[in-house]
Amino acid sequence: MIAPLPRLHAVTDDRTVAAGGIVERAAALAVAAGPELAVHVRTRALGGAALLDLARAVGAALAPHGGWLVVNDRADVARAAGARALQLGRGALDVQAARRVVPGMPVGRSVHDEASARAARAEGADYLVAGPLFATASHPGTAAAGPALVRRAAATGLPVIAIGGLTPERAGAALEAGAWGVAAVRALWDEADPGAAARAFLAALPAAATLPVVVNGESRVVPAGTTLRGLLEQLDLDPRAVVVEHNRRIVRRDALETARLAAGDAVELVHFVGGG
Amino acid sequence: MATAVTESVFQDTPLVVGGRTFRSRLLVGTGKYKDNAVMVRALEASGAEVVTVAVRRISLDRTKEEGILYHLDPGRFFLLANTAGCYTAEDAVRYARLAREAGFNQFVKLEVIGDQKTLLPDVAGLLEAARTLVKEGCKVMAYTNDDLVTALRLEDAGCVAVMPLASPIGSGLGLLNPYSIRTIKARLTVPVIVDAGVGTASDACVTMEQGVDGLLMNTAIAEAADAVAMAHAMRLATEAGRAAFLAGRMPRREVAVPSSPTAGMLA
Repeated sequence: MIAPLPRLHAVTDDRTVAAGGIVERAAALAVAAGPELAVHVRTRALGGAALLDLARAVGAALAPHGGWLVVNDRADVARAAGARALQLGRGALDVQAARRVVPGMPVGRSVHDEASARAARAEGADYLVAGPLFATASHPGTAAAGPALVRRAAATGLPVIAIGGLTPERAGAALEAGAWGVAAVRALWDEADPGAAARAFLAALPAAATLPVVVNGESRVVPAGTTLRGLLEQLDLDPRAVVVEHNRRIVRRDALETARLAAGDAVELVHFVGGG
Repeated sequence: MATAVTESVFQDTPLVVGGRTFRSRLLVGTGKYKDNAVMVRALEASGAEVVTVAVRRISLDRTKEEGILYHLDPGRFFLLANTAGCYTAEDAVRYARLAREAGFNQFVKLEVIGDQKTLLPDVAGLLEAARTLVKEGCKVMAYTNDDLVTALRLEDAGCVAVMPLASPIGSGLGLLNPYSIRTIKARLTVPVIVDAGVGTASDACVTMEQGVDGLLMNTAIAEAADAVAMAHAMRLATEAGRAAFLAGRMPRREVAVPSSPTAGMLA
């Protein structure tokens, strides 16, 4: 089992980074949200050295609580800082190029419509950050896509994090549309008590209807409660023609019915092919 | 299909590996064929009973159906799963366990590769993996170097067959060190099956003439211009080499000895 993608993403931008206090606020968020938290270090205002310093400091604040450091766009900095994931925004490297820099690291893609979501899936992204859902001060002038964008992004089968004008009150709508989690800038960083804001978000996230898992190295979501037998059925695979490994343990055929998938589970489905 | 040697003249014992009995001493791989139809016809032409297969991820987009069992009848062929592509003992053990779970048999063709360029085995990793798998009840057939001491250690570890190479996998260079292969055969009790390196029928014949118990090949058949015809040739060559070994060859001499009587010549 690998740690599942967090459900609450605190995303920085040039403004929040310039305001300072990111590391202290990240620590407060981490205490409140633990492994449910990802902090995205995202700014184009800093050079490589300063960005790496910031990423390392944020990573150190998150690590004791299990939160994820996510570095945006800069694969080199993500690798150097030991980030848990790399997030690729508009104009960033493509996923395959990024993987050469950060092999084995989950890579997310920021998408804003159905076409970019499909392109991200085809590129091999592990999850999507889809937005803006609602009007947001971070992107004035960008039309809000509404929860329908989440539905279209989720149709790729990848876990979706909704972003753009998200507040605890609006989180439910994003999840209803099929999001695994939510991301926010102002609603987390601008609050006087970031920990209380994080707790309010988490309280507003109902149990997810879907779970992110990794099957044969590919990220995908399955309905909560899916058994291994159910996964094989979804994939149209004959249980007699496949051997199943669940989090590195082989599952006997008669146990497929009862073994349930949890968020972050790794499943390998193998069979015999021609060989010497 | 007619063979060059008939049962009445050529009396051989069967090949027995890990308690299983096989009539054919030729074992054949199933990789790299032009297509599955050619593979199936080549396997039939080879007369092989044991065919090797690899363990790989199943394709999740259902557009291609590359599982070998859609083409091979597991009731007709004995499926020997390999751990090809594994570079550590841990990986090889993982693949072997997955293969065993498929439920056909307890046999595994154990490979732990140590070098990407030559695909030569990592014998330390091989021994470690062999010991682990034997303990778990696997019948391990170990692909190894043509090195006597490693072969002896593999036998000690409980392998049911030791499979030294003739030359590197897929090289087609033929039997490079007949002395080593003969030495290994002379010292081991378990079957010695030469695995990898033959390129054409004469290589197969020469290899079997060393007295080994069997021969495993893939590329020499699969990459022949006519794989089915080459499979037939390999069957004949394997039988011919085996028959010649059992027949016992004449001694080598540095001088000529006439075949016809020297007496009775005209004055």
